[in-house]
Amino acid sequence: MSELKDCPPLKYYDFKPVDHVKVCPRYTAVLSRSEDDGIGIEELDTLQLELETLLSSASRRLRALEEQRQILTDWQDKKGDKRFLKLGKDPDLAASSRHSKPKKQKLDGKGSHGPGPGPGRPKSKNIQTKVQEFEFEVDPQDIPRNPKNDAPNRFWASVEPYCADITNEEIRVLEELLKPPEDEAEYYKIPALGKHYSQRWAQEDLLEEQREGARANDKKKSMIGPLSELDAKDVDALLKKSESQHEPPEDGCPFGPLTQRLLQALVEENIISPMEDSPIPDIPGKDDGAGTSPRSQGKAFSVPHTRSLEARIREELVSQGLLDSDERQGVGGESEDEVLAELQKRQAELKALTAHNRSRKQELLKLARDEMRKQELRQRVRVADNEVMEAFRRIMAARQKKRTPTKKEKDQAWKALKERESILKLLDG
Amino acid sequence: MQTPKSQSSSPYYRTKLRGLYTTAKADAEAECGILRRALDKIAEIKSLLEERRIAARMAGVYSDTDPPRKTMRRGVLMTLLQQSAMTLPLWIGKPGESPPPLCGAIPASSDYVAKQGDKVAARVKAVDGDEQWILAEVVSYNHSTNKYEVDDIDEEGKERHTLSRRRIIPLPQWKANPETDPEALFSKDQLVLALYPQTTCFYRALIHTPPHRPQDDYSVLFEDTSYADGYSPPLNVAQRYVVACKENKKK
Repeated sequence: MSELKDCPPLKYYDFKPVDHVKVCPRYTAVLSRSEDDGIGIEELDTLQLELETLLSSASRRLRALEEQRQILTDWQDKKGDKRFLKLGKDPDLAASSRHSKPKKQKLDGKGSHGPGPGPGRPKSKNIQTKVQEFEFEVDPQDIPRNPKNDAPNRFWASVEPYCADITNEEIRVLEELLKPPEDEAEYYKIPALGKHYSQRWAQEDLLEEQREGARANDKKKSMIGPLSELDAKDVDALLKKSESQHEPPEDGCPFGPLTQRLLQALVEENIISPMEDSPIPDIPGKDDGAGTSPRSQGKAFSVPHTRSLEARIREELVSQGLLDSDERQGVGGESEDEVLAELQKRQAELKALTAHNRSRKQELLKLARDEMRKQELRQRVRVADNEVMEAFRRIMAARQKKRTPTKKEKDQAWKALKERESILKLLDG
Repeated sequence: MQTPKSQSSSPYYRTKLRGLYTTAKADAEAECGILRRALDKIAEIKSLLEERRIAARMAGVYSDTDPPRKTMRRGVLMTLLQQSAMTLPLWIGKPGESPPPLCGAIPASSDYVAKQGDKVAARVKAVDGDEQWILAEVVSYNHSTNKYEVDDIDEEGKERHTLSRRRIIPLPQWKANPETDPEALFSKDQLVLALYPQTTCFYRALIHTPPHRPQDDYSVLFEDTSYADGYSPPLNVAQRYVVACKENKKK
């Protein structure tokens, strides 16, 4: 019922065609004769009457159709203020409703004094009834309509972004995303270790002391600057010296760290450092370069021997199970190892992740490109559909006119069909 | 009616309906065109026959077959009249066309000149001074004197009447279709001049009922003093023989 408002006031006439056999017998008889038998003059009158009957029913039909078509056109054109302003059309409606419903009108009741005012009177009467009719139709339907139709529109609007066609812009966005980011390289850099913090702190502490000393002496801040710089260099030299003092074997001793550790562990006192007689007999057989003990300090140390000694000691220790065969970066490198290990772990993760992301983006891009191609094809299918429909309509029109469709039309139809099929095949394949 | 209406609310069906209406309209127009052509042909044939008849009559005035014709013609005359009334062409206008003058109750235009062979109602003065409206046929029209020469259709042997235009009322040349042009019909209680059945004279009458279908007759009440209420019972008169009465009340 709410759709009544959408509907123009159409009357769906049931046009009963004039039954020729019953109403126009002479006409039917004449028609069934062949061309050779003529029509007798005496038959003219009856024929005339019958033809007039047919003509009048046909024109009534014509008027009704015209009126309905006009209603449809007018209603489609002006959707807004409908029927209340349709008084201009009402004369048509009134006139034709007169035509189509003669029994309802009392022709006697018109009381026209001539053809002029005659049509005027019934028109006004009909306008009244028509307007009233429409008023009753329109009002109750207006109100429930408004909230009802909103939901589907909102739903479709919300779904729209997901179902819409892919545009070139979106592909461009994807391509941009795929471009390798410039700052990726940074993440993979393993920064240099830089100065060990103990050295740095030592340096800083020394600097501080120097500064304080200088301040104590001079109390001139401006002199601290160059002094401190100078001191920094001195401090470095100092620190290096102190380092070398603290770990003399590193500089002075060519022996590998393992060797030194071993010896240190075996030696009770540092004083007896050169005496390596006691441990060495344990491993004399392996050691060719035993003679490289610091006893013979005068001898130049042959570095390869120390290296092989170191390697052999390590091997032995590993085979004894005393030493793990894993790498050691350095004494103080344990902590750094962790950080470095962590850093490396993270870097590996980042690499894996970025690789994964890239592969997914590329996949997406490929899919998008494929979809675009399919869209194009679909568009072509739509065009081909329209062509097929056109051809169909043309053939139907030809058939309606009772003539067979021309070869041209048939060819067009076939061509359109084949085109459409080929595009569909492309689409599927 | 719910389904057709809901169907018609969608644009697709609306357009389809419009297309169908247009097609049906074209078909109806074609049909009307053909029927009109057929009717025109018939009218043509009839006019040819009419011409021949007039020509024969012209020639036949001088023949001496008059007397036998006079007596024999009564029944024949009535049949002829009836036939002529029946075969009066029905006016079926195209949409938008209004009925022309001399269709049904629509009077002739003021400068209309009846043609030869047209039937008219003529007010003639009888020998005894009585004026009567008779059914007559136009013979000729004299433009200079503005007078018609008419022949009584009943007795052609009688003299031709020469009458001024005011005494001549041309009879309708088309029937009005009550279904399409009811305004071209006389309405109830209108004063008209109607041919009394089985006579060839017009008398004043009041319309009782106008015709419902194209082939129907008017039902009229003739002024008749011999009846109690002054009017005869309703009698049928064909559209062709009913004309407007301009006369003022009784002479």
